[in-house]
Amino acid sequence: MAKKYLHIHRLRRVYVWELPVRFYHWLNAGVIIALIITGFYIANPLALLSNQEAANRYTMGWFRYIHFAAAYLFFFNFLFRLYWGFVGNKYANWKQFIPTSRRFFSEMWKVFKIDILMLRKNGKQQDHLSVGHNAMAGFIYFLTFFAFLIQCLTGFGLYASMSGWWFPKLFAWVPAVFGGDILTRQIHHWSMWFFILFAVIHVYLVFYHDYVEGRGEISSMGGGWKFIEEDVFEQNKHQTPNPEKK
Amino acid sequence: MSKRIVVDPITRIEGHLRIEADIENGKIKDAFSSGTMVRLLEEILRGRDPKDAWAFVGRVCGVCTSIHSLTSVRCVEDALDIVVPPNAELVRNIMFCTQYIHDHVVHFYHLHAMDWVDVVNALKADPKKTSELAQSISKWPKSSPGYFSDIQTRIKKFVDSGQLGIFSNGYWGHPAYKLPAEVNLIGLAHYLEALEWQKEIVKVHAIFGGKNPHPNYLVGGMACAISIDDVSGLNAERLAHVGQLLKQGKEFVEQVYIPDLMAIASFYKDWGAIGGGLGNYLVYGDLPTNGYRDMSSYKFPAGAILNKDITKLYDVDLKKEDEVQEFITHSWYEYKEGDAKGLHPWKGESKVKYTGPKPPFEHLETDHKYSYLKTPRWKGNAMEVGPLARVLVGYARGREDFKAVVDKALKDLNVPVAALFSTLGRTAARGLESILTAQWGIEFYDQLLANIKNGDTRMAEMSKFDPATWPKTALGVGHTEAPRGALAHWINIEDQKIANYQLVVPTTWNASPRDHKGQMSAYEASLIDTPVADEKQPLEILRTIHSFDPCMACSVHLYDEEGKTISRFNVLGD
Amino acid sequence: MTNDVLPQQPTYYEEVQRKGYSRRDFVKFVSMMTAFIGLEQSAIGQVTKALETQPRLPVIWLHFQECTCCSESFIRSSHPIVADILLDKISLDYTETLMAASGTQAEDALKNTMTKYKGKYILCVEGSVPLGADGVYCMIGGKTSLQILEEVSEGAAAIIAWGSCASNGCVQSAKPNPTGATPIHKIIKNKPIIKVPGCPPIGEVMAGVIVHYLTFGRIPELDRLGRPKAFYSKRVHDSCYRRPYYDAGLFVETFDDENAKKGYCLYKVGCKGPSTYNACGVTKWNGGTSFPIQSGHPCIGCSEENFWDNGRFYERGSAFAGFGIESDADTLGKIALVGTGVAIAGHAIATNIGKSTLIHKHEEEGKLSEHELES
Repeated sequence: MAKKYLHIHRLRRVYVWELPVRFYHWLNAGVIIALIITGFYIANPLALLSNQEAANRYTMGWFRYIHFAAAYLFFFNFLFRLYWGFVGNKYANWKQFIPTSRRFFSEMWKVFKIDILMLRKNGKQQDHLSVGHNAMAGFIYFLTFFAFLIQCLTGFGLYASMSGWWFPKLFAWVPAVFGGDILTRQIHHWSMWFFILFAVIHVYLVFYHDYVEGRGEISSMGGGWKFIEEDVFEQNKHQTPNPEKK
Repeated sequence: MSKRIVVDPITRIEGHLRIEADIENGKIKDAFSSGTMVRLLEEILRGRDPKDAWAFVGRVCGVCTSIHSLTSVRCVEDALDIVVPPNAELVRNIMFCTQYIHDHVVHFYHLHAMDWVDVVNALKADPKKTSELAQSISKWPKSSPGYFSDIQTRIKKFVDSGQLGIFSNGYWGHPAYKLPAEVNLIGLAHYLEALEWQKEIVKVHAIFGGKNPHPNYLVGGMACAISIDDVSGLNAERLAHVGQLLKQGKEFVEQVYIPDLMAIASFYKDWGAIGGGLGNYLVYGDLPTNGYRDMSSYKFPAGAILNKDITKLYDVDLKKEDEVQEFITHSWYEYKEGDAKGLHPWKGESKVKYTGPKPPFEHLETDHKYSYLKTPRWKGNAMEVGPLARVLVGYARGREDFKAVVDKALKDLNVPVAALFSTLGRTAARGLESILTAQWGIEFYDQLLANIKNGDTRMAEMSKFDPATWPKTALGVGHTEAPRGALAHWINIEDQKIANYQLVVPTTWNASPRDHKGQMSAYEASLIDTPVADEKQPLEILRTIHSFDPCMACSVHLYDEEGKTISRFNVLGD
Repeated sequence: MTNDVLPQQPTYYEEVQRKGYSRRDFVKFVSMMTAFIGLEQSAIGQVTKALETQPRLPVIWLHFQECTCCSESFIRSSHPIVADILLDKISLDYTETLMAASGTQAEDALKNTMTKYKGKYILCVEGSVPLGADGVYCMIGGKTSLQILEEVSEGAAAIIAWGSCASNGCVQSAKPNPTGATPIHKIIKNKPIIKVPGCPPIGEVMAGVIVHYLTFGRIPELDRLGRPKAFYSKRVHDSCYRRPYYDAGLFVETFDDENAKKGYCLYKVGCKGPSTYNACGVTKWNGGTSFPIQSGHPCIGCSEENFWDNGRFYERGSAFAGFGIESDADTLGKIALVGTGVAIAGHAIATNIGKSTLIHKHEEEGKLSEHELES
C-alpha cells in the first residue's frame, strides 16, 4: 500500500556547519545563558539572610564579575563570527543574512507560506527545504546581530565609567546619546527579552525542522553534517541565496 | 485722575509675581495681583504611582521645601488609611518646626528686611553706639564695636567698588526708610549672619531627609531608620546633632531675630494701621501631638475668623463641597459651565486658556482675566492665610502659649490688638510663631528621645506599601500649615494610580485675582489705601506684598493639551 | 567669616603680575581661556580687558520655570559661604530671589550689566523655558522667558544652567510636558553652557563651579553631557559608603526592616545611585552632614535627565513610558514569553495536522527502510 506513493529519498551528507561556526554557536549559547541569569540577578537580587559581615561576602560582586566576563566573551565571539562571515563556507557567508536580492525576499515569502502559515500548493502539503539557513532564518539572524550590537553598545557603555581599560571606554559615548545611564540601562534590560524570546523560538524551530524534515537538523550543530535530499542537493548545487546577476 | 503703575518682577519672593496698582493722591486706589508663570504639575501627576507623588509636588516649591511633600504623604496615607508610627510623626514635626524657623528667618532678613533697612545708610552708623544698642536689646555675643565696624568697613569697600551686586538699584534714601543708621547697621550685620546661620539649621532636614532643599519623605513614615546600635541609622551622634541644631535655632530666633524684629517694628508703628486688607483668616492647623487624625491635638489649632472678629471661630471642613471653592472669573482658565461658577476641588475642572495681551506688553487687561492663579473662596469669602491667621486663631482659641507671646509683643511695642490686622502685624506674627515653633521643635525632639529610650524604634508602617494591598479606589485629603499658610492636597487613587491630584495652596488664597462678585483677595485688598510717596519707587507696595511672603511657583494649574475638558483635575497656588 | 576685613581686591591682571608673570604670559593665558570657553578669537581683547579691569565677575541670574530650590541650595553652600561669594567674588547684579530692587529698578540693573559688561558677564539660568503657546506660560516684566533668555544670553561670556530644570527640563517637562518646558541648551546654541544638574544641585557644587571659574580662570572641563567632570564624573553608586553591601548581595527589602537598620544597600527599594552621576556620596549635602542614602532613602536620580519618567522611585523595574506604571519590561517580557509559548504550541499542533501527510510519509519511509534492513 504504502509503497505506491513512497519514494525513498537518497540523502547526501553535506558538511554545513564548520567547526568554528559550531564553536561560535555553543559558546554563544553558553554566555547568553550566563548573561541572562546574572543579568536577572543584577536587576533584582534575591533576598539573602546572612549574619556575615559585608566584607566577607561578594555575592553581587561575583554575579557582576561573571556578567562582565561573559560579556567580553560574547563580544569577541560575535566579532569572530562577523569575520567568519567573510572567510567561512557559503553557509556561513554574510550573504546568507542580508537580503539583497529579489530571490532572497521571494524565498522568505515562500518559507513564511509553507512553514508558518502551512499553506498548500494545489491542495498538496509541501516542505520548503534548504541546505543551510533558509532565507527567513537568515534574515532573523541578521536582526539578532542588531540585538547583539545594542547589547554590546549599551552594556559596554554602562561599564565604561567603571573600567580603567581603554577598550570599554570606547563606548563611553553611548549613555550620552541616551541622556544618561538610566535609559541606557533600561534599553539593555529590555533588549535582553529579545534573546529570551529568540532562544525559545529558535529551539522550537530546530525541533520542528528535525521532526518534520528528518534531516538531522539538531545534530548538525554537533557534527556539522546535514542530510540533504538528492533533488534538493542538485537544485542548490549551483546556487547561493544571493546569486550574482546572470 | 489715577495713575497705573506696574511692579514686575516683584523680587525677593519665590517665583513670578506682577502687581499693577492705580494711584490717586498718593494712595493706592485699586490693585491687581497676577501670577505669570505656570507649570501644570497636576497633569504630569496623572497616572503615576501615589507613593512617588511627594517628590513631584515637593518640587512645587524649593523655598517652602518639604512642606508639599509632607502634605502629599499625609494625603496618600489618608486615602490608604495608613497610620504612621509616633516616631515618624515626631520626626516630621521636628522637620516642620525647622522649616518654619528657617523660612521665617530667611524671609525676614533676606526677603523682607531691605524694605525696612536702608543698607547704604548703615555706613553712616557709629559702631560704638550700634554696639551699645545691640547689647541693650539682646545678649547675642557678636555685638562688639569692633564687630560692627568690621562689617561697616567691608560693606564700604563693597559699595566703593561701584559694583553693588544684589544691592544695586535699591530704593536707598527713600523717605519711607525711618530707621536710625545704627539699627540699619544691626540689620545689615544680621543679614549676613542669618545668611550663614540658615545653612546650619537645615542640617536637621539633611539628617532625617538626606538633603535640603527637597528632603526625602516616605509614605507610611520616614526612611531614616532608628538604629541606636549601628552607624548607619539614627544613633546617639545623629540625634545629638539634631538636638544641638535645634538649640542653636532657638537661640538665634530669640536673641537675633526677635530683638531685631521688635527694634525695627518700633520705628514703623504706623504700618500697624496699613495693609490690613480682608480681615478674614483661615487656618487648617498642624503639628499633631496625638496623631494627624486627632485635630484637637494640634499645636497650631484650626479655624476661620471673619471680619476681624476674634471672639467667634468657625470650623473648617475640607471635604464639604460648599466650603472651599475655586473661581476663574479673572484667571486664564475656562470652565464648562461658564466663568461665574465656583467648584469644589474634587469637582473642579481646569483648562488653561491664556487670553492676556501678547508679550511683550505694558499692561494686563485687568477688567478681564489677568492671572494664572485661580481664586479660592471659603463659603464665598475671600480669606487670608499665613502666620497672622495662625497667630490670631491660636489667640482666639485662648491658647496660653499664643496669648503669652502675642500679649508680650503688643505690650513691648505699646500697640493695641487691632494693630495686628496690618502689614506690621503680619510681619510680627511670623516672628511670634517662630518663637513657638523653635520651642516646640525641642519638645518634639525630647519626646523622640524618650520614645527611643522606651524601646519604640519604629519609623515606618510598611504593611500597605505594596499597591496590591490597596482598594480599587481611594480618596484622600492631606493638609498642613505651610510657612505661608493653609495648604491642602486632594488625591483620587484609582487602580493603584493617581487619577486626580489637586493642590490648594496658600499663595493662591492670598495672591489670586478677584472673584465673580468682584471681591478682592488678600494681596489686592491689603494694598488699598497704602500710601505711595514716590510712584517711581513704590517701596510701600513691596512692604505689604512681602509681608505675605509670596511663593508663586506653587500657583500651578491643570492644562489639557487636546483642549478637552477634564473634570477631575485642578489646583490652586501656594 | 563675615567679619573679616578683606584686603583691597586685586584684579586678575594685578594678581598675575604679582605672581611674576609677564603681560605676554597673561595674554597667552587669556587667548587659551577664550578658546576654551568657546569664544571667537575676536573676543580675546574683551576677555583680556575683562580680567584686567574686572575685580568681581558680573553675574546675571535669571529665574524661569523653577521652584527656587537652586537659589536656596546655593545659599546653603558652606565653603565658600555665600556671603563671601556675593561680597568678594562675584557681583550678582540680577537675581529675583535676593536683589533689593524690584520692577523697573530691577530691570534697569539687568540692562546696566548687559550693556556695561557686554560679552563678559556670566549668565546663570535657573528654570526651564516654556515654549508652548508662544511662551506665555512664563512672563516677567511683560516679556516671555524665551524673549528674555535670548536677549540676555546674547552678551554672556558663558552660561551656567543651574539644576535639572535648566539642564534637562526637570519636573515640568515630565510627561506630558504640558507647557513645552525646554532646557537651555536646546534654545541657546552659540554659547558655552555648563550644566549643573540636580534637584537641586548640592550647594557646595554650585559654589564650586563658580569658584572653579574664578580660581582657574576657565570653565571647568565638561563631560559629554556638558556637566563639570569635577562633580559629575562618578556614579553615586561608585562612591557610596553602602557599596560593600551591594557587592555582598545584602539589601534592604522594605523600609524600616532589620536590614534598613543595619544600613544595607538600598538597591532593591529603588535606589537610582547606580545610574546617577553626582557628588552626593563624596561631597554630601549641607556641609557634609548627610545624603539621601545615608539617611535611609534611595537616590531618586535627581541629576539625571528624565528621572521623573524613568521608572518609579521605589522599584528597580524599568517602566515603559506610555504603558502605565505597571508595565515594566519584565511584565511585558513575561507576557511575550507566554504568548510565544502559546504560539509555539499552536504551531506544533497545526504542524501535526497541516503536514500530517508529509510526516506520515517520512514515517512510512523510515519504517520501510527498517523493514528492508531486517529482511
